[in-house]
Amino acid sequence: MATADPRAAMPGRLHGLMLRHEMVLAAILVAALFVLSLQTDRFLTTDNLLNQGRLMAEIGLIALPMTYIIITAGIDLSVGSIMGLCAIMLGYGWKNLGLPLELSIALSLLIGTIAGAVNGWFITRVRVPPLIMTLATLALYRGLAEGISQARSVRGYPDWFFVLGQGELLGVPTQLWLLLVATVVAAVVLARTSFGRMLYAIGSNETAARFSGLPVDRCKIAIYALSGFTAGLAAWIFVSRVSTTRSDMGTGVELDVIAAVVLGGTSIFGGTGTILGTALGVVLVQLLKNGLALTGVKGDATIVVIGSVLILSILVSNWLRARRGVD
Amino acid sequence: MEPVLRLQDVSKAFPGVQALRGVQFDVRAGEVHALLGENGAGKSTLIKIVSGVYRPDSGSIVLDGQPVQLHSPHEAQRAGIATIYQELLLFPELTVAENIFMGHAPRRAWGGIDWRAAATGARQILASLDIHDLDVEAPVGALSVGNRQRVEIAKALSQKARILIMDEPTAALTQADVERLFAIVRRLRERGVGVVYISHRMAEVFALADRVTVLRDGAYVGTRDAAQTGEGELITMMVGRTIDQLFPKSDVPIGMPVLEVEDLSLAGVLDGVSLTVRAGEIVGLAGLVGSGRSELAQTIFGIAPATSGTIRVAGELVRIDSAATATRLGIAYVPEDRATQGLIRPMRIRENLSLAVLGELARRWFVDRAAEMRLAEDAIRRFSIRAPGPEQIVGKLSGGNQQKVVLGKWLATKPRVLIMDEPTRGIDVGAKAEIHRLMTELAGQGLAILMISSELPEVLGMSDRVLVMREGRLVAELPRADATQEAVASAMMRTAKAA
Repeated sequence: MATADPRAAMPGRLHGLMLRHEMVLAAILVAALFVLSLQTDRFLTTDNLLNQGRLMAEIGLIALPMTYIIITAGIDLSVGSIMGLCAIMLGYGWKNLGLPLELSIALSLLIGTIAGAVNGWFITRVRVPPLIMTLATLALYRGLAEGISQARSVRGYPDWFFVLGQGELLGVPTQLWLLLVATVVAAVVLARTSFGRMLYAIGSNETAARFSGLPVDRCKIAIYALSGFTAGLAAWIFVSRVSTTRSDMGTGVELDVIAAVVLGGTSIFGGTGTILGTALGVVLVQLLKNGLALTGVKGDATIVVIGSVLILSILVSNWLRARRGVD
Repeated sequence: MEPVLRLQDVSKAFPGVQALRGVQFDVRAGEVHALLGENGAGKSTLIKIVSGVYRPDSGSIVLDGQPVQLHSPHEAQRAGIATIYQELLLFPELTVAENIFMGHAPRRAWGGIDWRAAATGARQILASLDIHDLDVEAPVGALSVGNRQRVEIAKALSQKARILIMDEPTAALTQADVERLFAIVRRLRERGVGVVYISHRMAEVFALADRVTVLRDGAYVGTRDAAQTGEGELITMMVGRTIDQLFPKSDVPIGMPVLEVEDLSLAGVLDGVSLTVRAGEIVGLAGLVGSGRSELAQTIFGIAPATSGTIRVAGELVRIDSAATATRLGIAYVPEDRATQGLIRPMRIRENLSLAVLGELARRWFVDRAAEMRLAEDAIRRFSIRAPGPEQIVGKLSGGNQQKVVLGKWLATKPRVLIMDEPTRGIDVGAKAEIHRLMTELAGQGLAILMISSELPEVLGMSDRVLVMREGRLVAELPRADATQEAVASAMMRTAKAA
């Protein structure tokens, strides 16, 4: 008998395996909301939830291209460092090079994109494994950020700059709108377009994808560049939210992002995953962090809870899968 | 004579498939019992039950007249049942002796392993198989496939195997190795070992087997004495219908050159290869494994672009630097290795079939699901792919049906040139005949086909012209009339013998 790989689920079908994982996540999310709201009356309020949405935007945005990358069996550890580099370039271009702020923002987004494309280029053309390549640029881009900033922070941005990070539109934080739109677009692209189909194909069997005449290398460079661009966008939102620029911005972001994506059911071995899962993962992590903090749990304990939830969600969905006899 | 092992009325189901239905099978001491059936007929499930990997849902296993339960491969081994799978399960970093005695090495009084006794024991076992040219201290990774297989057989004997199961042992062997294997199998038979022999190659079955059992669709069809049956009867038993003609090549008008390759080289692999394939023509490409056949195909297809030389498609000079370019130019390549190169096994039939035409199938950037579904349903009908439907995961299909999916994927690109690398390797007789019939039909429609095959009867039966490769060069070109088994084989091996 041929053995079939259970990592076969594709989006867009209600009977798909991964939706089971997403249902598990949604259930955990509802349970967490319920339990946390019993602990403190400051948690389940519109103000608090909208504020959490504001805090979630950067991780949420970066998690979208990260989902694409992990679906192709890759990884991008350098997103936090790219975020730092872009934040510095935004401030540096405006303050030190005297560029108009708009141009400086565009420049920093461009640099983020290039930083990501460099990752992609080495991964596809020089065949450096993604883990090694982005581990190297994790150090390299952070080093550049620190070198350029010389430990000086940049402040004093004009008022309009804060609209993105601190403003509201129809009562909802500006960046949350951006995150919502980006999430929907990313989900549609992954589930419905031929580009999305290619990502799954590459992650399931890269050799066969290549032998089928798919532009595997171009596809990969594109998603790493997109990851860099998104990290730049997150840097812009972050600087706008906290009103200052420092070179250590975004440190450790890669771990939060990867945790959220994996929690969302994307297999680190490639071939499966959905944007809906990632979105649920991002929301769950953020609400747990916030809810636990509000109920007076200390920071260390919060990390332990998040780690446990990650393991639990994977166990439950594996168990569901085994019960359905897929393996 | 009372059989050593007897299976009675054995059934086994997996979710969604009844793999075996009331099958009976027995092995006597000192016989070679061939097990035949199309892929998906239940052979693998049967040997996995015998070797303790699966447990039957019902039915009994009787060993030496006693009913037994085999709960694990280890228990089966202790009961004297050894299995040699297609993928050899050896440790490449360890030596021959270490591999042979893995898990049951001779011990010294204080419990340490007696390596000298192990080496001596390994030599004795190999000598008993008439193998004298194998260094027991050599790491297994450095050995040829044929030698590794001999190590596996020696390992089985070291465990005092009374029943040896061999799953397609000759699939990856050269002709010389096949003959040595036959000699070893005959020697085992003389020593009273019962050998269960699984192969798709009829000639081997008749050369070795005493009895033949045929399975079809998980059910027992019958057992025959090899001396009292013929290829025709066995094929009929396997497919449940008569195949009058294995190679239905018909003459079709041959048109203009479609693929012209001139002086193509790839550093260290291909050396100045020139060939032409015309519309309606099937050109067979023969050669030993490692002679550069697949490399030539992959160079033309852009996987490993040529370092020098020219390629023309329909008279036009082209530069092929990737598989995507080749596909666009109307070249299709059905690769040698279905599982890793041809298919994305965890994906659905529909998704695999549309893979090479994703761009054309898309409206704007969106995959046109309806068109994709039509493509899949058409292909399933046209190639009679046996599957519940387009949503079936490809990895769950049998080998023959998987190959039809690969073929369907490439024919969806409407190619002008079709390169087929071992188009029928490891697939059952019925699917094989269907693929051959399809090739003839496609040639009749004006497709230029370049077929690589290690099976000489296939090359001779299907080709209008036979090319022979050796050491990265084309060494012979024979028109159909002159292409005899002897002529092709001698061109393939000429220097190999001299060396």
